Amino acid sequence: MTNGPALVLGIESSCDETAAALVTSERRILAQKIASQDDVHAPYGGVVPEFAARAHAERLAPLIEAVLDEAEIEIRDVDAVAATAGPGLIGGVMVGLVTGKALATASGKPLIAINHLEGHALSPRLADPTLQFPYALLLVSGGHCQILRVEGVGRYQRLATTIDDALGEAFDKTAKILGLGYPGGPAVERLAQQGDPRGVPLPRPLVGKREPHFSFAGLKSAVLRAHESGNYAPADLAASFQQAAIDCVLDRMQRSLETMDEVTALVVAGGVAANTRVRTELEQCAASRGLRFVAPPLKLCTDNAAMIAWAGIERFAKGEASPLDVPARPRWPLDPGAEPVRGAGAKA
Amino acid sequence: MRVLAIDCATENCSAALFSNGELIDGRCERLGRGHAERLVPMIAELPDKGRADRVIVSLGPGSFTGVRIGLAAARALALVWKAETLGYPTLALIAAMAREAHPEAVSVAMTGGHGEWFLQDFGPDGLPQGELASLPPQAAADVARHHRVAGSEAEALVARRGSGSAVPLLPDARYVPLLSSSVLLQNPAPLYGRAPDAKLPAAS
Ligand SMILES: Nc1ncnc2c1ncn2[C@@H]1O[C@H](COP(=O)(O)OP(=O)(O)OP(=O)(O)O)[C@@H](O)[C@H]1O
Repeated sequence: MTNGPALVLGIESSCDETAAALVTSERRILAQKIASQDDVHAPYGGVVPEFAARAHAERLAPLIEAVLDEAEIEIRDVDAVAATAGPGLIGGVMVGLVTGKALATASGKPLIAINHLEGHALSPRLADPTLQFPYALLLVSGGHCQILRVEGVGRYQRLATTIDDALGEAFDKTAKILGLGYPGGPAVERLAQQGDPRGVPLPRPLVGKREPHFSFAGLKSAVLRAHESGNYAPADLAASFQQAAIDCVLDRMQRSLETMDEVTALVVAGGVAANTRVRTELEQCAASRGLRFVAPPLKLCTDNAAMIAWAGIERFAKGEASPLDVPARPRWPLDPGAEPVRGAGAKA
Repeated sequence: MRVLAIDCATENCSAALFSNGELIDGRCERLGRGHAERLVPMIAELPDKGRADRVIVSLGPGSFTGVRIGLAAARALALVWKAETLGYPTLALIAAMAREAHPEAVSVAMTGGHGEWFLQDFGPDGLPQGELASLPPQAAADVARHHRVAGSEAEALVARRGSGSAVPLLPDARYVPLLSSSVLLQNPAPLYGRAPDAKLPAAS
């Protein structure tokens, strides 16, 4: 290991973004590029795994070259290669992981296989050097919806997860119902700005319940019924859905914070953390408990490779590396010890 | 010049290193699955970790996943070594391997997707005759032109047709120097050989 700052190349290909980034241990993102596949999947209203894998295979190598070029970095100047090894769509994960393995072996650098969720979980530390462990994390993306106590690198205690849909998935399904296209989160948020958040009566599943988990399937069904009734304007549906979802999130967050051991901050990460209302409401929740609130900048919330590189840096600093035969994993819970939750499936 | 050859397109996972066309060292393992785990360690076991001036990789058709793994590894290695990357169609390698023992025209039949077979005829000069096709087994047996049939479905095709002689074979990177340079492709991209399954994951 050199004495200067460490430099890690990050690779992400677990869902529908192909991404590469170069990040230093001093938290500088020297270059990062993301090729979105929204155009590929939009006609299907969701991510088609085989199309995703094909697009990753086509785009990843040129993207890595472009990132190295932009930063004027030679691969031999990199200290380690970090690649997402799961969880996610396995065909795409394999493309990124094998690319990382080959780059690592050819350049004689260590490979660090990263859990995509750990990328999200540690991304706030990339953005905020003062954020210390342990912190409470709300991880809300298209595939996951969890509350975790982040105790250290690789040490996660899961307090809650969803028993059906993830929060981002609920936004996407609502967008589909309202004909807003894919991906739906940002579209629902935009439309909601013009609507009445109390305009449509919608349920708040599990709110007030003792069990700590999330549920959004009933909310989505209620949105569908309300929409089909023809009695409500799309903007009111979007606003009321968003309000109901946020009410659920706040209630569940409060519930978990009550039972959680002490933490330094309340942190939100994952794609839905890009939602302004979600951020402001959580910020108030944190303030009411005297907790710091940390949310990464928007471009670090949705899938990206800078967070994978950063997780690589955190693990590299601990002297960790992965063997070249490390497998790609469709499922890979952050807290393998957490009690299984019925219905949670891959979202556990 | 050193050449590294990679073929992951079928159950076989293989990698071989050549110096001026001579095999230095190579591996071929019949894996079924697990190419993403095995391929790179296999390359790392070669002398100089497989370092080469040119990387030649199978483009398929075969397993969609396997093709992508081979190509991803080839491109990444070439990026670091500043090497050239070339690709070849899997069936051309099978034809070349079959023609080693039997230098004559050959039809190649390989397991494809959804119960179909990939079929292509190769002439006495070893060059492809006509396009690659993905066909139901009987249709493949009906249109295969040559007496000799090679590939993973060679025996099945000969049995169905009731004539011919089968050479069961899977591609093996150690035989890549047998390929005619005319089948090598620059800027390699996968030859999937059939349309993708446009299926969303099971809805919840
Ligand atoms: N402004 C927003 N408001 C609400 N949801 C949003 C917003 N922006 C993005 N999202 C949602 O975030 C999700 C995408 O997040 P991200 O890229 O982190 O995750 P993913 O790839 O879908 O899943 P995972 O990271 O769990 O594998 C989508 O469901 C999208 O609708």
